Amino acid sequence: MSHIIRFKIKDIQPEKEVVFKEFGIPKIDLVSEKIQQLYSEAIKVFRETSKPIVIYSEISKEKFQNIFKGEGNNSAETPVDKIFPKADNLILFALTMGKEVSEKIEILFKENDFALGSMLDNIASLSADNAVKKMEELAAKDTKNHEENYLILAYSPGYCGWDISGQKKLFEYLHPEKIGITLNDSFLMIPLKSVSGVLISRKSEIHKFENNFSFCSLCKTKSCLERM
Amino acid sequence: MEILNQISEYLQQGDDDKVFALTKEAIEQDLNPKVILDNSLIAGMNIIGEKFKKHEIFLPDVLMSAKAMYAGLDQLKPLLASKGISGLGKVVIGTVQGDLHDIGKNLVGIMLKGAGFDVIDLGKDVPPEKFVETAKRENAKLIGMSALLTTTMTNMKKVVDLVRKDNSDIKVIIGGAPVSKEFADEIGADAYAYDAGNAVECVKELI
Repeated sequence: MSHIIRFKIKDIQPEKEVVFKEFGIPKIDLVSEKIQQLYSEAIKVFRETSKPIVIYSEISKEKFQNIFKGEGNNSAETPVDKIFPKADNLILFALTMGKEVSEKIEILFKENDFALGSMLDNIASLSADNAVKKMEELAAKDTKNHEENYLILAYSPGYCGWDISGQKKLFEYLHPEKIGITLNDSFLMIPLKSVSGVLISRKSEIHKFENNFSFCSLCKTKSCLERM
Repeated sequence: MEILNQISEYLQQGDDDKVFALTKEAIEQDLNPKVILDNSLIAGMNIIGEKFKKHEIFLPDVLMSAKAMYAGLDQLKPLLASKGISGLGKVVIGTVQGDLHDIGKNLVGIMLKGAGFDVIDLGKDVPPEKFVETAKRENAKLIGMSALLTTTMTNMKKVVDLVRKDNSDIKVIIGGAPVSKEFADEIGADAYAYDAGNAVECVKELI
């Protein structure tokens, strides 16, 4: 059975420092008044246009195995392959910031308002990441998270060898269209500011892996290691 | 020309209203549109690019200047076209097939236009064949590709292979969060750019 929850914007809105850091700005006091105003305007637009919402459902390992297998396009070996069979609990989820904020970003770029558009894009992306963290917290409430070193982490199609075509079966099971997320022919989610995946719950040891999979050498993102 | 310096100054301040008004004035004064473009808009963006490279300003500053540049450029475009004046060269850019993340690609496009290149932006989720067909049809000198998803990076290789198969002299440059120089070397791309500013430098070196 699936559940739908709306997030409060204040719970997922990123800190100003984090937004600026994404732009390579190390300290807030280094930026001009104009950039400060730009940030304020972007936050205002974000609050007006984003409608963060999630749909999620617990899933058995057997059913998840079929979803993860997807269209048969995953890498031969993946971290998720090794991690999920050891999980205590699996939760499929799909969340979105809503279509209005994504459309607003596109409009701003079309109007050549690149600075406001990219600031809003940044805020929306970071908010989506924060919403995933909220989901991890939410899942923790119903698990054995009181145990030492317990960890709930999200894994998503499109990353770490889980092919993006895996979205098809994930959508067939979860039906994120109920909250306004659809898939295009390339298995990409629309609206753009959406995240899907599986939350895997178990002691932190199971989430640890060496980044020596076939695809790791080609990828410079090390966020997978940082969160372990 | 004082008015050209003024346009450049206001562009650097990100004042699009002033750049629009002064560019209009310069056109009405019958100044050569290519001179206006080179000596005010591109000159101003070059200064901004240098300041950004030295970390004296930040990306939002660059983007505010880019908006100001477009306020002038949009007025000059029809005049330049009517005189058959083209930019530094055509560049085809896009986000690879299977990927909808285009913010990085958009920033590269903005910076390249600011540097004087003619940019053909194919958008996102672009099939490999479309990159190559467009570049050949438009006589573009370079293809720029972006990816955010690790599972779509491999589509960059398909484009490189198509270009090499034709023995074409079209250069290929790639970028995006998970992409690295090692990956660029492995798939045979001509360059890897770590950000939009670096992309402009790479493109200038390649064509």
